Amino acid sequence: MPRIKIESDKCTGCRLCEMACSLQHIENTFNPKRSRIRVFTMGDHCYPVIAGPYTEVECTSKTDVIIDGHEYDGCILCRASCPAKTIFKEPDVDIALKCDFCGEPPDPQCVKICPSDCLTLLED
Amino acid sequence: MDAWTGKVLRVDLSKGEWEDEELDLDLAEEYLGGRGLATKILFDEVDANVDPLSPENKLIFATGPLSGTGAPTGGRYMVVSKSPLTGAIACCNVGGDFGSELKYAGYDMVIFEGKSPKPVYLMIQNGDVEIKPAEHLWGKRTHETDDMVKAEMGDKWKALDTHVACIGPAGENLARIACIMSDKHRAAGRSGLGAVMGSKNLKAIAVWGSGAVTVTDGESFKEATFAILELLKGSTTIEGLNKYGSMSSQFPMNRMGVLPALNYQAGAFEGVANTNARPLHAKLVIRAGACFACPIACGRVSRVTAPDEYKGEGWGPEFETCSLLGPNCGVDDLAAITKANYTCNELGIDTMSAGGTIACAMELYEKGYLKQEEVGYELNFGNAKAMVELVEKLGLREGFGDVLAEGGYRVAEKYGHTELFMGVKKQEMAAYHPQGLQGEGLAFATANGGASHNRAGVYASELWGFPYKTDPLAIEGKAAMCVELQHYKAVLDAVGVCQYIAFGKVEAEHIAPLLNAATGMDFTVESLMLAGERIWNLERLFNLAAGFTAEDDTLPKRLLEQPLLTGTFEGQVNRLGEMLPEYYQLRGWDEKGVPSKEKLAELALD
Repeated sequence: MPRIKIESDKCTGCRLCEMACSLQHIENTFNPKRSRIRVFTMGDHCYPVIAGPYTEVECTSKTDVIIDGHEYDGCILCRASCPAKTIFKEPDVDIALKCDFCGEPPDPQCVKICPSDCLTLLED
Repeated sequence: MDAWTGKVLRVDLSKGEWEDEELDLDLAEEYLGGRGLATKILFDEVDANVDPLSPENKLIFATGPLSGTGAPTGGRYMVVSKSPLTGAIACCNVGGDFGSELKYAGYDMVIFEGKSPKPVYLMIQNGDVEIKPAEHLWGKRTHETDDMVKAEMGDKWKALDTHVACIGPAGENLARIACIMSDKHRAAGRSGLGAVMGSKNLKAIAVWGSGAVTVTDGESFKEATFAILELLKGSTTIEGLNKYGSMSSQFPMNRMGVLPALNYQAGAFEGVANTNARPLHAKLVIRAGACFACPIACGRVSRVTAPDEYKGEGWGPEFETCSLLGPNCGVDDLAAITKANYTCNELGIDTMSAGGTIACAMELYEKGYLKQEEVGYELNFGNAKAMVELVEKLGLREGFGDVLAEGGYRVAEKYGHTELFMGVKKQEMAAYHPQGLQGEGLAFATANGGASHNRAGVYASELWGFPYKTDPLAIEGKAAMCVELQHYKAVLDAVGVCQYIAFGKVEAEHIAPLLNAATGMDFTVESLMLAGERIWNLERLFNLAAGFTAEDDTLPKRLLEQPLLTGTFEGQVNRLGEMLPEYYQLRGWDEKGVPSKEKLAELALD
């Protein structure tokens, strides 16, 4: 199964990954809200999150995380596309978005463009 | 329409009304966008003689065609208005994520007119516009304002993707060196545009959108993007900016003797051992921070943990901030400089003008023109505590801060010694010493918005070799280089990318294919540079109409007449008088600095 290693410590928050993903999946279009990778800043750091599968039900328990002394909603770091979230869904139509590694063989454009070497494709 | 959204929002704050306008694509082709289109609108719609803080002035937020695309550094926007500091046209280039989000929300540009009777903020969500009350935000610092506005988006996921530009107390108090803060840590810094926003009772603008920016030919766009990314990757200067931020230049500039110290009385400062990039990174920096779509990531996320009085967190300090609040004020305490930087950001003050203004006050004090009773401090060079506390007072217009809030020129004028003000057109200079950098002196003197390092940046040639290396002391060829760089930088500001890409040897020949793939148009290096020249001349026409003359294209007298007393460039003065006539001639301007009829016809400005 292909994996993408995310080294959040290296992320600068530039969001070029979101741009590359959007252009790859939607012809001639840049739209971060339709990207399957999103970068969120929490505390002093940035966290790239890659869209996982859709779950039909919302979690029955929630987590809060404390990062650099600030409290955040744990859902932000979750990969799932779920009924409780508006991210990782096509805007307006609500269709779930999921990372497809940009095809077979995997050629993730986010990994290719990342200028900070924060994302690495692993195959095993 | 590709690249541009095709929509302009016009907000009449006096009436509380707004309307959508169509973007004029012919004008967009002539002026590109951003700084260009906004200048055209200001020139056409605003009488150059209006009081900048009156409802008749307009405040324009403008993105470029590449803002919001994945073009390297393509997230920039410009804020354009008539400046309350200089009285000239002002344009500030801003990073962060606000510009791209404005386009996703559906607009290329927002034009603010009039003055709201009460404090308000503007919220744009996917083309839906609301003018919302902001009494509860008035008086709040910028970070709190940013957080409070986001909390009013009604949805936590939307709040995550909302981007805010706002003013702090300094803008509300009409400080002439107030800035507009964007995404908390980026700024439309110079020329007091925060005061223009404050004069309109406009506290903030919040944008969110799920719309797209489309390009005509995605494949070619990607190709042109990777060509630029490769250039940037191969540049050691860009690597330095990534690793040590803009502060990478402080130490070498000090060694070369061109780092302004003690209000430009010297070109080097011993204390730089304590303020340069190494101690900064060893003690305060947490990570590199990037603006939207930027592979360079020159921003510094930082935190001061000790001493208690300087504790804080934020971004910075950047080179200009650290050098002007530091060595130029004789201060070598990095924690104090960083604290002053955070305070400026929170109160919405231009860090550069703050440094220049306080340095000017320090020299007035040391020369005995300004008394301790008046300031409330012993304001000798090097008094870090006074510097930090005065920045706070400046933003709040408390005590002597009320005087400082007017900017360095007016401080010097009040005490009868304008010769101690180190700026051009009443705007404080950036941290490049014109007595060691001849061409940068010309660039400061001729910048339309008052002294700025970002209108030409000849220093980059004289110091680092961009676009090619020149001797800092030579004056031959500097006028031509200044003209060309002024046009190129206008292009970058207009299309919506960052000037730092020029340090990776990215030139107009790399921008043209990117812009063509995005817009489907047929720009060439020549047509882009012509657009840059058109923008420059239009700004000049605005200034001439506002009453500026060739006499304003000058440097502080001291830099022209009194040789530098120390350092590598000891004995040097700036030879502006020898460069300026050539500059005017190359521009097709007469000896009074007025564009000729032929030049205006050539630029379709007649």
